[in-house]
Amino acid sequence: MFNLKEESFVENRLKEDKYIEEISMMSPKYLDGIKKILTVSADTELVSAPAYYLAAKDAPTTNAFISAMGIIQDELGHAHIAYRLMEDLGINKEEFIYERDPKSFRYPYAFDVPLVTWTELAVANAFYDRAGFVLLDDVFGNTTFGPWKRALVKVGKEEGFHLRHGETWMKKLVKDPVGKERLQKALDWMFPLTVEWFGLPDSLKTQNIQLEYGFKGQSNDQLRQTWMSTAVPLAESLGLKVPAHYCENKKKYVLEYPFPCKFDAQEKKWLFNEGEIPWIEPNSDGYSVMKRWKKRGEMNDEFVEILQKGHKQVCQMLER
Amino acid sequence: MSDVRKIVIQDPKKRTSREEEIFQILHDVQDAEFDIDIVDMGLIYGVHFDDKKQSVIVDMTFTSMSCPAMDFMSDDVVERLISEKDIKDVSINVVWDPPWNQEMLSQDGVKGLNDWGVIKWV
Repeated sequence: MFNLKEESFVENRLKEDKYIEEISMMSPKYLDGIKKILTVSADTELVSAPAYYLAAKDAPTTNAFISAMGIIQDELGHAHIAYRLMEDLGINKEEFIYERDPKSFRYPYAFDVPLVTWTELAVANAFYDRAGFVLLDDVFGNTTFGPWKRALVKVGKEEGFHLRHGETWMKKLVKDPVGKERLQKALDWMFPLTVEWFGLPDSLKTQNIQLEYGFKGQSNDQLRQTWMSTAVPLAESLGLKVPAHYCENKKKYVLEYPFPCKFDAQEKKWLFNEGEIPWIEPNSDGYSVMKRWKKRGEMNDEFVEILQKGHKQVCQMLER
Repeated sequence: MSDVRKIVIQDPKKRTSREEEIFQILHDVQDAEFDIDIVDMGLIYGVHFDDKKQSVIVDMTFTSMSCPAMDFMSDDVVERLISEKDIKDVSINVVWDPPWNQEMLSQDGVKGLNDWGVIKWV
């Protein structure tokens, strides 16, 4: 058991612009909050590995496969960093990774939709890794948890490489008419899925402990804007269409489709023409974004099984 | 089949003036992860310009054989050089011997990697 501090201790320390360095400096509220945000970060990095591997098998050359595997190795390393930090916060890392139910892994729904082609991997690196980069760059600039900030120096550089990999391949593929068509098809479903990545809109956030305690600096809507500020120009520079543009009057990026809306995961298709759906409480047809997220998608069980299988097999072998 | 040439790291004094310019132009190409360029990283072993054919052969290495960024750093070199008016063709000659090591970093490269916290140069 750890002896935690009173809330006032944390508040005073943060007022003095001092980092929280270890669990003995945390209040129960701070500890709970930092565990939650680290869980999302760690789980996202971990699940990205099997998700990317599925598409990496479609690599066009050995060198391209090495690039993809390099990225996957980085992602596993990033996951390890976050889980390792959680270990110092009283989490049993082994149980947490290998014995958790797939549904309780906390990563963006986007990874539950299978990436099966090299084109989709390129777009994932350009869009999903950009989302990860935006989120972690914000954490790096604002987190009050010192060990995480220091660990993110390495993570940020590597995520930059992943982004560049995606952009480079998109630039290569777009030169060919068939490649451009495939890219457009991938963008059509992956762009809105990444817009969703940043979570509930600010107007629906009931608690802002992540901002109050400086686990991160920007709100969900601000992060969405930050992401679009580079993702949209990238697509436009390649002559690809995305359903968003910069509005001079509003001085921000605006979406050109009902947000949020229904997604047909099997067909990888957004049903824009069916209009907006609620974020939390299901509508009369039983749809809401939260309901889809909680139900998880088709790859959730498979990816977690891939990640846990080897550990379980070795444990069984050693018990014999 | 291309000619087999014995690769040595090119003596800067033996470069023609245009080869030296091309070498310097390659400072525009960045390493895949770090904010330093591939010349300062020591990845460019030689530049061979044929003004009649308007072609360049770049002797280039990588920090390891499993470098995940081999393809796209090579592509970046081609893309940068092909934008020169007198260059119509660029070939990358990947060289593994002599292998890259830290001593191939330029002073700016050493400073860059120090600043990024990658190496501690003593």
